[in-house]
Order: sequence, then structure tokens, then C-alpha cells
Amino acid sequence: MTTLGRLQALLRKELDLAPERLAPDARLEDLDIDSLRLIEILFSVEDAFAVAVPTGADELRARLVTVGDLAAYIDSLVAQKANPAP
Amino acid sequence: MRRVAVTGVGVVSPLGNNNQSFFESLVAGRSGVGRLSMRFEERLVCRIGASVSDFDAASLFAAPRLRMLDRVSQFALAAAAEALGEAGEVFNGLDLERAGVFVGTGMGGARTTDESYFTLYGEQSDRVKPFSVLLAMNNAAASWIGMEHGLRGANLTYSTACSSSAVAIGEAARRIASGEADVMIAGGSEAPLNFGTLKAWDAMRTLATEDPDDASASCKPFARDRSGLVLGEGAAMLVLEAWDRAVHRGARIRAEMAGYGLCADPSHITRPSVAGQAAAMRRALADARMDAAQIGYINAHGTGTQANDSVETAAIKEVFGARAHAIPVSSTKSMHGHLLGAAGAIEFAASLLAMEAGIAPPTINLRHPDPECDLDYVALAARGGIDIGAFMSNSFAFGGTNAVLVARRAP
Repeated sequence: MTTLGRLQALLRKELDLAPERLAPDARLEDLDIDSLRLIEILFSVEDAFAVAVPTGADELRARLVTVGDLAAYIDSLVAQKANPAP
Repeated sequence: MRRVAVTGVGVVSPLGNNNQSFFESLVAGRSGVGRLSMRFEERLVCRIGASVSDFDAASLFAAPRLRMLDRVSQFALAAAAEALGEAGEVFNGLDLERAGVFVGTGMGGARTTDESYFTLYGEQSDRVKPFSVLLAMNNAAASWIGMEHGLRGANLTYSTACSSSAVAIGEAARRIASGEADVMIAGGSEAPLNFGTLKAWDAMRTLATEDPDDASASCKPFARDRSGLVLGEGAAMLVLEAWDRAVHRGARIRAEMAGYGLCADPSHITRPSVAGQAAAMRRALADARMDAAQIGYINAHGTGTQANDSVETAAIKEVFGARAHAIPVSSTKSMHGHLLGAAGAIEFAASLLAMEAGIAPPTINLRHPDPECDLDYVALAARGGIDIGAFMSNSFAFGGTNAVLVARRAP
């Protein structure tokens, strides 16, 4: 399954959201994902994708606007883990 | 000063999860004490406690919200919902800046703290749950209640160990009496039955020894063979309201909050004193402008420890004089255990229900009287047909904050 697919499944389960609301361009704030919920989601993301999220919540909140942004961010963490910077 | 009405009562307890089933259990003399089961239970010296059962948090709270609620907040919210349900349209037409929440708790989200430490030290993980701070913080229960109803008046959490919720109720009543607030939700919540907290209490050597014949009979307040307290969990909440407002909107007034006596016992961190306990009782009577003869029932602090029960008996005799022997005095902790920060609230609720019904709940397990404890403790079985015009509820604490509440029957 793609990162986006896995993320959508995770959000569906955690927040009890209908799948049709979780399109890549869906805005996190429209899904009632505030800064606190984002922290909880990142905790689950760390488990599900076996990555560590290093960044502070405020910075991520500014960077991650949509579901697609979050999927891309997870991809970057997975890639970093596979090819750690020297 | 304005009069203060009690217009709602909510209870989550080892004896039932609403005030009616709680009181039925009290009258039946049923014990909520039993053997606890948890991780590492075999390492507990004292394996007994009074736990809340049939409390289905998943049916009360949606999953995303439930993940933000420690058990202590779950109990508090459920008790507040019952109290507000009884109070009816209490917020109708009210400026919500004139409504607040005061909650007492001794240990706050102790289960979350315990689980976090297990994750770190036991499982050697470097990650605790993301909302651990929000679940564990002592003021979470009060905050959630206030948020649920949009209350913008004072929201405070009192932590004075075993008198926490008596203080919360007394202080809330004062806010209404002074005119600062019109409606207050006040009470206490506690959920201390986790391994780490129980081990800490084990270490204090103040917990009861399990009765070899019947674990449920291990808490024996005022008895010669008493061996200590039994921890319990649960919550009780009241809706307090300005008297005239309650009358005006036709609310069912359950009692009048009449007096609150507070004093510190600075001589020792745990040892109670007759003078300190008596002073708190006298202040409560003076605050209520009542004399001792008007009190028809006393809900004792009655922990079941050697020290408290003889000292409290002596203090009651000092305050009530010759009449002390004529007043039914019971320790309902014999049945629901010691709810620590929620004890004052749940015992106030027990007393209020006793006053309404004219039934004094018993002190169970009192089979072998202690010569030093010679009052009428309503031993073993409830007593009905008694006229309780007013009651006193005692709460005395580690740390020395003694708080006594007095309420009288609504006319």
C-alpha cells in the first residue's frame, strides 16, 4: 500500500473520519486536526512507519497543511532512514 | 452573605455509578472492597481496594476524546453529568462567567503517570503517550467539566490530600455566598488503584491487612481489630446554586449548604490531633450559625487507622459534649473505601442522601468495639426512621488541612 493509503487508514481509525474526507488535498484543519491532534497522529505515524519525527509541533503545523503534505513528509522520513545523511 | 442550595448530586463509586444505587448499597451495608487484579499484583503487600465496576468509559466518551481522559477525569465527568442532569436547566439564562468548577483530587491522573513510568523504566521505551501531561495534570478533571459546559467562572483544583473535595465544596459554596458566582459544580475525583500508587501506600504501612476470612470485610473503622485504611476510587459532584435563583426557577433543592470549617493541624505531617479536628468541627457549626444539638448525623472521617478513629471520637465528644453519644456517627469508608481526594465529596453525598431518606448508613465490620471508640457508630446495619435535620461530614488530611461541612434539610 502507498504511504498515502496507509496514512488514510490510520487517520480513519484514529479520528473516526469517513474515507471520502481524506483526499490528498483535504486540509488538516478542516478535519479538526489541531496542533494537539497532530501530535497524537505523529505518535501513531512513528509506530506505523517505524520512523522518528524530529521536528517541533509549531514548525510542522506550519509546513503540513493537507493530508498530502503529511504523506510526503512521512515519505521523506522513511527515505532519510533508508539513506541516512553521512 | 447569600444562601446556597444543593440542586444536583452525582456519584461514581465502588458501590454503584449513580447516587441512587450508591445509596441503596450503603443502606444494604454492602462492601465495595475486594481483591484487586493488575499487573504485578503478586508484589503488593496489600492486595485489596474498592474499585469502580461496570464503568464503560468507551460508551460514555468518543474514542479521540477518551484518549485524552485519565480514569480520574472520566469519573469526574460522569459524576458531573449526573449532578447536572438532576439540577435541570441550571445554566438557562445564566451569564456563564458566573458559573465555575471546583474539584478536589489528591493524586490526579495517577494511572497515566504510573503507565508512563512503566513504559520508560519497565519497557525501556523512550516514548510515552503524547497526551501524558494532559492526562496526568491534577487540574484536568476540573478543566474538562468546565469545557464541556463552556463555564468561564473560576475553575480551581484543590489538593489537600484526604480533605481535597471537602475543601472544594466549601470554597465553592463561599463563592456563591459572597455573590461572586451563581452556580458551581463542586466535588472530587480520585483513581489511585494502580501498582505504583499502591506500592507507595504500602510503604506508608497505613493500609489495612486483608481479613483472612473475607477480603471485603477488611476495613473496620472504630473496631478494636481495625488495621488501617482501604483505598478506593470514584467521584462525587454537586451542583451548588444561589438559593434564590434555585427557588425562582423551581429547582428541586436537595439541601442547604450551611457551614464550612477549615483549620490546619501544624503539629505533624500525618498525626491527627483532637484539638485540630475539634476546631474544624466548631468552625463549621459557627459558620452555619448552628449549635451542636441541631446535628442529627455525622459522617465520620473514620479511616480505620488506629490513630484517626480514637482521635476523631475524642474530638466529636469534645465538640458535642454529652450529646455525642446520642448522635449516629458512621464511617461509610467501611463500604466504599477511602477515596482520598474524593472522600469528602462522596461522604457529603452519602450524608445528604441519608438526610433525605431518614436513614443512617452503617459502619460495617464493627464487631469488636474498641473501648476508646465508644460512640454510636450504627454498627453493622443501617438505621431507618431517624430525623436528620442537619448533618456534619468530616474530612481530615495528611498535611493537616482539616475540613468539615455542614448542611441542613431544605425547608
